[in-house]
Amino acid sequence: MNWLATEWALWLPLVAGAVALWLLLPSPEGRLRGLGAALGAVAIGTAAAGWLPVEDGGVQSVLFGVFAVTAVGGAGKMITDRSPVYAALWFAVATLGVCGLFVLNSAPFLAAATVIVYAGAIVVTFVFVIMLAQSTGASGYDNRTQNRFAAVVGSMVLLGCFVFTIQQHLAAGESRGVAPLRSERRPPANLLSVPVRADGLGTLRGFGRSLFGDYLYSVELAGSLLLIATIGAIAVAPRRTQGAL
Amino acid sequence: MNTPVEHHLIVGTVLFALGMIGFLTRRNLILITLSAELMLHGVSLNFLAFSRLHGTFEGQAMTAFVLTVAACEAGLALSIVLALYQRRKSLDVRLWSELAEAEADDTEPPVPPTPPVDPSARLPHLAPAGRAPTIVKQEAASRV
Repeated sequence: MNWLATEWALWLPLVAGAVALWLLLPSPEGRLRGLGAALGAVAIGTAAAGWLPVEDGGVQSVLFGVFAVTAVGGAGKMITDRSPVYAALWFAVATLGVCGLFVLNSAPFLAAATVIVYAGAIVVTFVFVIMLAQSTGASGYDNRTQNRFAAVVGSMVLLGCFVFTIQQHLAAGESRGVAPLRSERRPPANLLSVPVRADGLGTLRGFGRSLFGDYLYSVELAGSLLLIATIGAIAVAPRRTQGAL
Repeated sequence: MNTPVEHHLIVGTVLFALGMIGFLTRRNLILITLSAELMLHGVSLNFLAFSRLHGTFEGQAMTAFVLTVAACEAGLALSIVLALYQRRKSLDVRLWSELAEAEADDTEPPVPPTPPVDPSARLPHLAPAGRAPTIVKQEAASRV
């Protein structure tokens, strides 16, 4: 009991988030959606205050906060929206937030690639399929959820375990922002994977050297996988002669 | 000063948990697939945070492969969703929650145990095989 009182920063956002999600997930009878939205804001606020302590209010912290709130808020709206088209669009918003966090992690190429592939191709394909397969409005199964309590409680327990582990690691040693390049610490086995200063972490050149130097077989396999997936998608997709879609 | 790596890890974990809730809760097939993609976003963020921590490219390469596999998975999942929609004319996942056939009955009636054979009992003797058949002359004449 004493532990609960002292560790309120850990479980308070979890409980508030669990109650907010349980209220906001679609259900046939109208629940307290305003209370759910308010509890969701409380959960995000207490999580930001308790889990993400800010040492200095630099530009990077502000950017991190903006992108993190966009990603988490977009994700929350995505799973609680009744209309699947709106949910796909909220997923695109969450993808934009996640790509902002990618840029903050020195991966600008991956940020651009993720925006192009996810928000550009995958979300558009999803919206096409929704338009093809759902001619009427919001149907009955969109307003209902299954296993709501078990899913919310289980996921929040898992999230609590993860956050607790990360906070233990944060308390054990000082948090590290950026480490020096690996080549400066010990020589790597493959000479192609030595990133010189011009091929630092955020450069496309270094990423290309790593991708086509260390992981050449994986890249070729990924290309073959894309081809096989294309053939599979064409094979699995229903024909118009089999019946009206 | 950069934001510490633990902040990015926590955001990635929150995204994963939200995707898990959406995956387990929603009944629309497309929303289930979108929640799986959201989980992949959380995992990619985790990879990139560690990549920045160690200063290597392994996390970024892994994120590129996750992106590739996610694109393949989305395409195939949508084909399967369309094929399923053509069968039942609905995107509800509950229609496919029981994949067994309705009339298949895998419980067979119990076979009664055979009575134990007394080793000292005389076993029945069968007639020897290969006995020559007796041909009736009248049938052979009428077949012509």
